[in-house]
Amino acid sequence: MTSPMENLVSRESQALAEAGVWIARLADEGVSGDDGLEFDAWLMAAPQNRAAYSQALVLCHEFDARAEAVLAELAPADPGQTVVPISVVRRRSPVRGWWAGVGGMAIAAGLAVAVLPAYLAGPTIATYATGKGQHQHIALADGSKLDLDAETKAVVSYSRGERRVALSDGQAIFDVTHDAARPFVVEAAGRQVRDLGTQFDVKAKSRELTVTVARGLVEVAGTSGRGVQLAPGQRLSIDKSGVGRLSAVDPAETFSWRLGRLVYRAQPLADVVADLNRQFVQQTEIADPAIAGLPITGVIVLDSPSAVMARLSLMLPIKAVPSDRALVLTRR
Amino acid sequence: MALASGPPESRQTEPGVDPLLAAFLETRENLILFLAARVRSMATAEDLVQDLFLKVAALEPQAEVRAPKALLYRMASNLMVDHFRSVQRASRRDGQWRMDTRVTLAGLDVVSEPAADEALVEKQRARLLAEAVTALPPQMGRAFRLHKLEGLSQAEAAEAMGISRKMVEAHIAAAVKHLVQRLRT
Repeated sequence: MTSPMENLVSRESQALAEAGVWIARLADEGVSGDDGLEFDAWLMAAPQNRAAYSQALVLCHEFDARAEAVLAELAPADPGQTVVPISVVRRRSPVRGWWAGVGGMAIAAGLAVAVLPAYLAGPTIATYATGKGQHQHIALADGSKLDLDAETKAVVSYSRGERRVALSDGQAIFDVTHDAARPFVVEAAGRQVRDLGTQFDVKAKSRELTVTVARGLVEVAGTSGRGVQLAPGQRLSIDKSGVGRLSAVDPAETFSWRLGRLVYRAQPLADVVADLNRQFVQQTEIADPAIAGLPITGVIVLDSPSAVMARLSLMLPIKAVPSDRALVLTRR
Repeated sequence: MALASGPPESRQTEPGVDPLLAAFLETRENLILFLAARVRSMATAEDLVQDLFLKVAALEPQAEVRAPKALLYRMASNLMVDHFRSVQRASRRDGQWRMDTRVTLAGLDVVSEPAADEALVEKQRARLLAEAVTALPPQMGRAFRLHKLEGLSQAEAAEAMGISRKMVEAHIAAAVKHLVQRLRT
């Protein structure tokens, strides 16, 4: 026999379990009107169902609203994230061996790094890499933040006098905490991008480099040492031959990849396809060279390659046909 | 028929009122709850249900609607599909919200950062939520993180984790229950 109190508790717990099932089911794509009818019947079946669902919904909305902050808290310590640092190498400084050990533990725990100034330890080197379709948010020990786009590799090395990030091919947004005593330097495409407390985006593709500044002041230096200073809203693009072009842009557009969308202004379809192929495992191919140059202007929401192409084919004379190895684009 | 059984607290509807409109008034709150799980805010869900109301009101009064509730839920799910297609009314996943609060445009530091003490409270709360996620069993936590926090669809999360979509759904359902129980104040 169970007491009425126990009954009540188990009924509430049951309602909460069912509420979780409904939240999970209704939160995904492809919810139908029939799902709605079934949900309605469940909601009406018992007052505790409505209460449990409302409770679960409020919490889920809070997670939605704070997703970024929660991710920032999770990022350093969570081993189950989509991308993990592939190596954390520590150069032991003989003089500061003791501190180096403490620093290593702090990084292993993923907690104390904010408390213990990183420069007390020897230089810390961590490598982060993303694959196709992966994004990675990295909170660095000094409060600076790094957002890696798909297929990007960054080697972060912090030492007493300098914070340095080497960016191989790929794209990243840097949100840098200003520290006059420790400049923040990004190495990309054979050049150095030096910031003065700011937010900026670096895209490196073999020998080409694009730097866009949202906030603060950034200096891009070549191998010769003479630098170009960039203010907010300015973009510097340097091509393979080393020719630079300065333009005014809306930084929000450049930064939009972090938000799951890409913005294009009269850029050829081939560029869009190249970007999609970095963002998704499923590859897209242009079968007809005549359509490669079609200009694209607009915002592309990154849900799936087939969904993107379905929307594009409404505006352009193209057709997407799935095949074994890729989504093939042809003229319609 | 099961559909005819109204809610226990069913509102009085005047005779002669369009049955679809009457059903809408009875079901309005449930429709909001139905949409709110996916659109991720009550305000957006309410907006969509308001749109639904306008659509219903614009229809010719139809005495012949056999299952008004079924029609309402079908219309609501269609509106939700349209909502996610529309870039103008971008949801949080599309980043409008983050775009508004986080990205600075040309000029100085115009980010609407909260005041220092507010920021501390925010940080503490975020930490509490993060701890609750960390305390989940690993696979459950990962599914929740990918779908709820990183904004992947359940199918995408399933692919990332190498498990079935149904399994992801089950993980998320269980995660929601755990999280509510842990964070209930």
